[in-house]
Amino acid sequence: MATQDKEKKDAKIIILATEACAYPGANSVGQAHSSYPANTYILRVRAPVLFPEDFYIDCFKKGCGGIIVMSCGEECPYDGAYHALAKRLDNVYKMMKEKEIEIKRLRLTAICTVCNRAFLKEVNQMNTLVKELGPPVLKEN
Amino acid sequence: MNSRKKLNFDTVVIGGGIAGLQTAIDLGDQGFKVAIIEKDATIGGTMIRLSKVFPTLDCASCITTPKMSEAAHHDNITLFTMCTLNALDKESNKVTASITQQPRYLDPDKCIGCRQCEYNCPVYVLDEEQGDLTLRKAAYIPFSNAIPQLALIDVENCSLCGKCAKVCPTDAIDYFQEPEDFIIEARTAVVTTGFNMTPADQKKEYGQGKIENVITALQMERILAPHGPYMRALRPSDGKEPESIAFIQCAGSRDKSLGVSYCSRVCCMYAIKQCMLLSGSLPLADLTIYYMDIRAFGKGYEQFYQNAKAMGIEFVKSKIASISQGADQSVALKYEAQEEGGKLATREHDLVVLSLGIVPEWDPTGICDIAKDTDQFIQCKMPKIAPTITSIEGMFTAGVASGPKDIVDTIAESGAAAMEAGNYMKHYH
Amino acid sequence: MSKDNDKNKDDEATDINENTDANDTVEKIGVYICHCGGNISDHVDVEKVAESVKNIPGVTKVHTNSFMCSDPGQELIEKDIKSGSINRVVVASCAPSLHESTFRGAIKRADMNPFLYDHANIREQVSWVHDGEPATAKASILVKSSIEKARGLKALDVLKVDAKKHVLIVGGGIAGMRSGLDLAKQGFEVAILEKSPFLGGQASKLSRLAPSYEYAKDLIVELYTQLSKQNKVTFYTCAEMSSFKGYIGNFDVTLTREPSDAVKSKSKGEFVENRGIFIDNIPKETEEIAITIGAVVMATGFKTYEPAEDEFGFNKLEPVTTLEQFIQDYKKAETKKGILYLNNKKIKRIAFIHCVGSRQIPGIHEPDKNGNLNEYCSRTCCSSTLQAAERIKTTCPNTDVFDFYRDIRTYGRFQEDIYDSASEKGVMFFRFEPDAQPEVTENKNGKFPISIKTKDVLTFNEEIEVDVDLVVLVTGIIPNDISSMINMMKLPVGTDKFLQEVHPKLRPVEVANTGILLAGTCQAPMDITESCAAAQAASVKATALLYKGFVELDPFVAQVDTELCKGHGECLKVCPVDNTIEIDKVAKVNPALCTGCGICTAVCPENAIDVMGWSLKQYEKMVDAILAA
Repeated sequence: MATQDKEKKDAKIIILATEACAYPGANSVGQAHSSYPANTYILRVRAPVLFPEDFYIDCFKKGCGGIIVMSCGEECPYDGAYHALAKRLDNVYKMMKEKEIEIKRLRLTAICTVCNRAFLKEVNQMNTLVKELGPPVLKEN
Repeated sequence: MNSRKKLNFDTVVIGGGIAGLQTAIDLGDQGFKVAIIEKDATIGGTMIRLSKVFPTLDCASCITTPKMSEAAHHDNITLFTMCTLNALDKESNKVTASITQQPRYLDPDKCIGCRQCEYNCPVYVLDEEQGDLTLRKAAYIPFSNAIPQLALIDVENCSLCGKCAKVCPTDAIDYFQEPEDFIIEARTAVVTTGFNMTPADQKKEYGQGKIENVITALQMERILAPHGPYMRALRPSDGKEPESIAFIQCAGSRDKSLGVSYCSRVCCMYAIKQCMLLSGSLPLADLTIYYMDIRAFGKGYEQFYQNAKAMGIEFVKSKIASISQGADQSVALKYEAQEEGGKLATREHDLVVLSLGIVPEWDPTGICDIAKDTDQFIQCKMPKIAPTITSIEGMFTAGVASGPKDIVDTIAESGAAAMEAGNYMKHYH
Repeated sequence: MSKDNDKNKDDEATDINENTDANDTVEKIGVYICHCGGNISDHVDVEKVAESVKNIPGVTKVHTNSFMCSDPGQELIEKDIKSGSINRVVVASCAPSLHESTFRGAIKRADMNPFLYDHANIREQVSWVHDGEPATAKASILVKSSIEKARGLKALDVLKVDAKKHVLIVGGGIAGMRSGLDLAKQGFEVAILEKSPFLGGQASKLSRLAPSYEYAKDLIVELYTQLSKQNKVTFYTCAEMSSFKGYIGNFDVTLTREPSDAVKSKSKGEFVENRGIFIDNIPKETEEIAITIGAVVMATGFKTYEPAEDEFGFNKLEPVTTLEQFIQDYKKAETKKGILYLNNKKIKRIAFIHCVGSRQIPGIHEPDKNGNLNEYCSRTCCSSTLQAAERIKTTCPNTDVFDFYRDIRTYGRFQEDIYDSASEKGVMFFRFEPDAQPEVTENKNGKFPISIKTKDVLTFNEEIEVDVDLVVLVTGIIPNDISSMINMMKLPVGTDKFLQEVHPKLRPVEVANTGILLAGTCQAPMDITESCAAAQAASVKATALLYKGFVELDPFVAQVDTELCKGHGECLKVCPVDNTIEIDKVAKVNPALCTGCGICTAVCPENAIDVMGWSLKQYEKMVDAILAA
């Protein structure tokens, strides 16, 4: 079962899910018993704006296949945080390009407390992508 | 069995919808002990059952759930679901509520909300939480974000097969549970009993509920909700994606023949909102609103209405004369056509939504001496400067219990009731 | 009967002990994994998960249990804490929203700081969505990452900030008086700031109110009478705010009072028509007053829209007036032979035109000189117009009343009755489309001075022309100009120029700066009922904030490691809340203002600032645990 081993080793996805919206959204998917790939690890966060650029790059360095930032979008309870986050991720994308990491491995999206379908779509898309690309290979400057 | 337990609180809040929850939170935050009495198996009221809410188009769940869980986790708030209010009296500075709690047929302290009973129950019945458009089990949790997350058994429909008891991991099922009477003594009461829609089968001209693909606005809310009966926008009779959907405004309001002469205040906005949501899920569908006046009066509402017009939603100023079944399960509407100088014309739509009006959910007659006004809603004694004071000192009201209101106004008024009740307790005790 | 809150809720409000475990430097982590009666254990091999974490350094106890949330489950934790075997708790069970507070309660009961606990969600996010070996593997990893987080947890205390039981109400109209009365009854000190020498605001100009026919004056007098019985209320009339700083619980405000030449012959407490209750303490010279307050209620109200020059003939044709002026004139009106006389002029025919300065549509209506359009509905004018029309027809049946409208919005309780009654009594209605507004012109040769032309939608676009004696423009509501306060207090303003709440349903009377509340028409058009409800909602929020004499704040705020901080000030640059961060060699955070968003953490070049309880360092450890596995 070489392929399965590879999957297990290579394809972890980190999800940063906001406490107010996306994390309860993920629970709602659970309540509906809708299954999705098990290589996904959801971290409950207050506002993803906490994470500096390096956090994302370090994740990829450590072999993380993909990161989905599931925010509250415009309904973010913290003043100005969503726009700052969007800007932050723009920087991360630039750094990813420099390091030749496929920028598709990082996604910013908004998930609400009952957005089951949107959640599943995001997770499945990222999983397909990560499977296709395998683990990230970083170009060290 | 009926040893009447007596519990003491500062305030008893009648109704666990958004008005009751906000009132309880605002009282609890002032340090008062509050009991919420709710007739359903879950708190959240009508709001938690809606799809998205105007004018921000936030999903209703995202706005209601935090308030529900805040109330449930609040140190000063105690929830009592499945409760019938038998009497609510005020005597010598004391409010007494006599209550019967209906059985869930399981031990709520044991139930862990795992739904094993629901998955294994063989009985299917119409799901009222989904506007009767789909089925649920006879053992069930009302919906995924219900609070408390406890199951109940619908004995009317239960076949007593015993499966749920067998699969329950905590042995919580108890088929012999009895209703339980108890009494709450409090210093104040707040009536937040909310509303019901006017009956859909009332009006002869509108087919008395017998025409296929004529649905109510609350059914449309469910169809549009994320966990709706079809998980997409379909019409009930044949599952077809409707290409043309019409809304009939004031179908139950501003109509003296129905005894509802008042404006129900929210129907214009919810119809516009539903059209906006439909245009998202069915981008090619024709959407029409037949109306008398568009009453988009709240903050951001007029702009919402103008956006809807700009999106191409058609607004036809006309009262619908009659509704009948058209060809291929469509619905035919007879109306005064503006473009034809007011002559009666007929148009067919795949799906028609009745924007029903609002009537009070609770009639205090025989239960409480609180005065009703001519519109049957709770009377406000000082409607201008103290809008939550009722005919009985120490009893207050908020939200739709005292007349139709949107969520924004309901929430403001709930805060006002909590202020009045708080000050009353500070000064008269 | 069954109570439906969290089971086992700790009813006593236990104070969090100060750093109970601060000296307990060696982490002893207890791990508790729940079967959830098969809900977890049917898909996750719970024993295998337990096995996989028991040898992790620092883990001193590992238990599995059918129902961790049950009393026996919770007692496991309590026992281990009390015996000294653990000083950190990890529970792996259902979603934290369900039982986080249950387990915090259990930990508190065992006299441990409840923030030394982390929760792994292995039901909603594992066993209910995954199956078989991958489910068990994922559950193990989540528990491991929780252990790594727990290792770094610190005891946290709920922050307490002293708060003055003193509220400043800005504006002495109906909303301000209502809110002031509520808060005075709470025993708070109340300062009411009013720019004129009168209380009562715009309502003082009104007469009988729709739909109850009460006199506005009576309501103002009633509120004032009750207010004047309260002993902790100070009226700062003739005053404006001149400075504002501070935060919830402790705002420092300066008020400047100026002499005014308003009617001085009136006595204190007397109602002056169209102006309000006279407060007889006009300063002789400019005074400055400094007060410290705990919260502010903004009740700055509205003014009516002033039509542009020649808008429907305004200021050009003499018999064109506004509803505001008409209501004042009508107070002195006379009736002869069933005909209305206003200012001694016979009004045989009168017309009202709705939505003047409201519901303006870009591309159709002319913006004002500042480029503004009032796109909103002013909410109150339909009912007040119809009530005026209905009154005229009742007292002067021989005066013809014409009503030009777009939509009749008698939405409120008993308002529809006024509309019905006006129709029954013979008010003539014409409906116009926004792009075909009525034209008001001088009627030089006719019997009546003014002519109105429109296309009437009600009669299917028939061109009609009505000649009248007087045209009343139903002007809308616009917010008062409070730009200096908006700048001083950093208040958010919406595109409609009204003050903007955080969220219309979640936090409808609050702005982002905690301790500042909104009441009434400074926020949006409202009638008196709605203004009073909003004012009372603001009062209840102020009460909840201040009644204890201190404000309790979440401990999840930014904290600076002063050893690492070099005072670069990057945090200060990005912080969205003014005055939260101060740089004095090192950064200092005011926890009363910090919202804990963590934006500062991301930009600190020294990694010296982090959010308590949700720290970046902990996330890094969690990610390491996840990715290393």
